[in-house]
Amino acid sequence: MKHQWTDRLSEYLDDELDAADRSAVEAHLRECEQCRSDLGQLEAVVARARELTDRLPAVDLWPAIVRRLGTAVEPVTDLTQRRARRRIAFSVPQLAAAGVALMLLSAGAVWLTVARNGPPVVAVDSAAPVAALTVSAELAAYDATIAELGAALRLDGDRLDTATVRVLEENLAIIDRAIAEARTALEQDPASRYLNGHLGRTLRRKVDLLQRAATLVTAAS
Amino acid sequence: MTGRPSAAAAPDDLADARLGAAGDREAFERLYRRHVARIHSLARRMLGEEEADDATQDAFIRAWEKLGTFRGDAAFGTWLHRLAINVMLAARTAAARSQQRLVQGDHVVERAGRPKADLEARMDFESAIATLPAGAREVFMLHDVEGFKHREIAALLGVTAGTSKAQLHRARMALRAYLGGDD
Repeated sequence: MKHQWTDRLSEYLDDELDAADRSAVEAHLRECEQCRSDLGQLEAVVARARELTDRLPAVDLWPAIVRRLGTAVEPVTDLTQRRARRRIAFSVPQLAAAGVALMLLSAGAVWLTVARNGPPVVAVDSAAPVAALTVSAELAAYDATIAELGAALRLDGDRLDTATVRVLEENLAIIDRAIAEARTALEQDPASRYLNGHLGRTLRRKVDLLQRAATLVTAAS
Repeated sequence: MTGRPSAAAAPDDLADARLGAAGDREAFERLYRRHVARIHSLARRMLGEEEADDATQDAFIRAWEKLGTFRGDAAFGTWLHRLAINVMLAARTAAARSQQRLVQGDHVVERAGRPKADLEARMDFESAIATLPAGAREVFMLHDVEGFKHREIAALLGVTAGTSKAQLHRARMALRAYLGGDD
């Protein structure tokens, strides 16, 4: 059962109530067994939190860190040099995104092929110069793929029921927002492995969704 | 912040931080060795086991980049700890927002993934913390484990001190249920 002061017990425990409220809580505690019990349990939680001990990661992270130090900005930074480096070097996410852009182009081709000609036979040019793609070209390719898929959905929507098309479009929009947010975050922290990994996983979700969409079209044809 | 980072190793840390700021990687490795357990544990509790390694790497890379700004006014451990929290909060904010939308989206098409194994059977206290909603978990971690004050947490998370207090109580009440069933 929840009482008037139940939600203030943590503040009481942390000595963050003013004198009047503290007195009121104490008066309530004298009469309420439930709240006394709750307070005792909250104290146990706080005590348990303080007992947490640190432990080393399962694997030594230093080798990976020192590899990244080789590409990280030096501690004494020169903004001019930093900007120049950014202009001529591709970051890990950019290269990853370039690779995924090719995958998306492939997936887009799958969609169009399936929607118009039946089961797909799509060959991806394995010799495509991924590393040579510029960032702007990668973004343009990505946008072009989205545009083609959107067009395909509009043109061949009659092969799928309206609800399915709507769901697919909604999910593509959701994933696109997620990709945009991940990229925005990476602009603030381009070297983050965590964000790079997150962006990679998000892009993979988009590829997976496109592949599922292609399967649905095949089944509906 | 009452802070758990200790200043016990401060003289070594200060010397190594200065060497590291000048580009000495061996000095920076010594700092890493002394502090990695602390930072990795923080990452594990804030972000989960899966993300802890990457987040720890990110924190140390950021520390390397920022070593030149460390003046020695506070213990190196305190400085590193604060920097790591900022790195982790920034990362999780973007990721959590995206992840939430992705999960919502996937539910429409099909259920993605399966419940994690750590939800099975008996959980340890850290696993119980990991099951808390993100806001409550972060406040609990920062207040009860890391020793931050509500006003500091409010500034870090961009919420009010009142929200921080409410989230802390929510977290403790949820964990209370765990402890009650565990002991």
